[in-house]
Amino acid sequence: MATLSLEHIDKIYDNNVQAVFDFNLDVKDGELIVLVGPSGCGKSTTLRMVAGLEDISNGKLMLDGKDITATPAKDRDMAMVFQSYALYGHMTIYENMAFSLTLRKENPNVIHKKVLAAAEVLGLTSQLNKKPAQLSGGQRQRVAMGRSIVRNPKVFLFDEPLSNLDAKLRGATRREILLLHKRLQATMMYVTHDQTEALTLADRIVCMSMGHVQQVGTPLELYDQPANVFVASFIGLPPMNFFDVVVKDGVLEGKGFQVALDGEEKHTLAQYNNKQIILGVRPENIVEGPDVKGTVFSNENLGMNTLVHAHLPGGGKVSAKLKGWSNYKAGDAVSFSFNRKHFFDKETTNAIRGGK
Amino acid sequence: MNDERTIQRDRMRFINNTQSSNLCYLGILFNVFYFVSIYKSDVGTYYYNILIGASIVYNLIFMLAVFLASEGVKVYQKSSSYLLCAVGIGQIIRIFILPMRAHTATTIINGEDALVMHDGQFTRVVVYLAVSAVCLIVSALINLKKAGELEEHMKTLNAQNA
Repeated sequence: MATLSLEHIDKIYDNNVQAVFDFNLDVKDGELIVLVGPSGCGKSTTLRMVAGLEDISNGKLMLDGKDITATPAKDRDMAMVFQSYALYGHMTIYENMAFSLTLRKENPNVIHKKVLAAAEVLGLTSQLNKKPAQLSGGQRQRVAMGRSIVRNPKVFLFDEPLSNLDAKLRGATRREILLLHKRLQATMMYVTHDQTEALTLADRIVCMSMGHVQQVGTPLELYDQPANVFVASFIGLPPMNFFDVVVKDGVLEGKGFQVALDGEEKHTLAQYNNKQIILGVRPENIVEGPDVKGTVFSNENLGMNTLVHAHLPGGGKVSAKLKGWSNYKAGDAVSFSFNRKHFFDKETTNAIRGGK
Repeated sequence: MNDERTIQRDRMRFINNTQSSNLCYLGILFNVFYFVSIYKSDVGTYYYNILIGASIVYNLIFMLAVFLASEGVKVYQKSSSYLLCAVGIGQIIRIFILPMRAHTATTIINGEDALVMHDGQFTRVVVYLAVSAVCLIVSALINLKKAGELEEHMKTLNAQNA
């Protein structure tokens, strides 16, 4: 397959709007990179620049060490799967999958072998004689993937391929993409705004906001060691709780609550004594305990867990994902403790790591 | 399934028989050429008898039948081949009905006897009908051969899967 390298890539449109700022990334051979971020953060623009559908304003794009910055899309040997499938409605699935190879005037027997192999991988063998309208959304998306697979491209690009599917189908298709990646061992770039997709699919995630890369790392790194408040708030569902607190001699003082720090946390925040920081706590890291008292305003039972939302005395809110089934009612008093805490600098919003 | 011939046969499971269906369309086209050339306006009332009505109705039926057969041969339907053979033979028989009679018949134009159909027109319409017939029969034969091959291939596949 292939390695891909994006070096100091910028995208500036004709009206001087800059969509992507100094994007740097090395994609290893066979790696699945997920670009994640809210709408308008520049992830699709980046993918389109890699595909050759958008010009690169500044920087270099290298494929297997070769500069392809100015290479036309058709010569880049990359295949893109779109959100809208882009299948030809009047052609059968077989013809849709064979189309790009037919255009290249490849031997029909070779095309046949490739289409059958791709259909086998995607579980579409029994659907080959059908038209796209006869297939479900998930099957159509698999056909779109099959059309890419038969080309045997160096890099696969996915632009929010699951966004058109309902939640159940999205989960199933997501697992299929993961299996496909394992089977093909192909280099893939995948764009999504859904952090669940990013966490489950990616070898590494690139989290973007406002055209800037916020953090690049494995899903666990982004979840467990977010680089800043943006990444911490974007990754994880339900999102992380944030509190403005002051570090005071081994205690975090927030509005209406106090939390004691353990030895390691004290060490981490050694330079922040008497300073204001942002305390981040994931809902799943909150348990019932004596530290933070509040008043429940919402109780959502999710089966295995219960999402309890409460007002804090100082005016803040907290969401806790408690294990098991809880029957809190609005107005009930509740008390929490925080298991795992994240600290962020108030000014830079960057994470405060140990040793600083 | 490695040899070229087997792959070629296997492709038929997913690829339409466009060769045969295109020949059907060509057959229809030449039939259209035939019927727009047969009725000339300067031959008096020669064509104004029961034959013209029958001919028009036959042309309509012909086009419908061949179009349906073209859809049949697309998916390797053997019965469509038989229909095409019959219609193709019908095209040859038609040469001996209208064109042959009109070629030998005379009619009075401006007070003089004149041939209803001159040699040039006769040759043209005969060629149209003959080409139309050949297209349909060849289409039928190609489809019969391919349908047979596909049938055999499917039997082999089913036996392998069983």
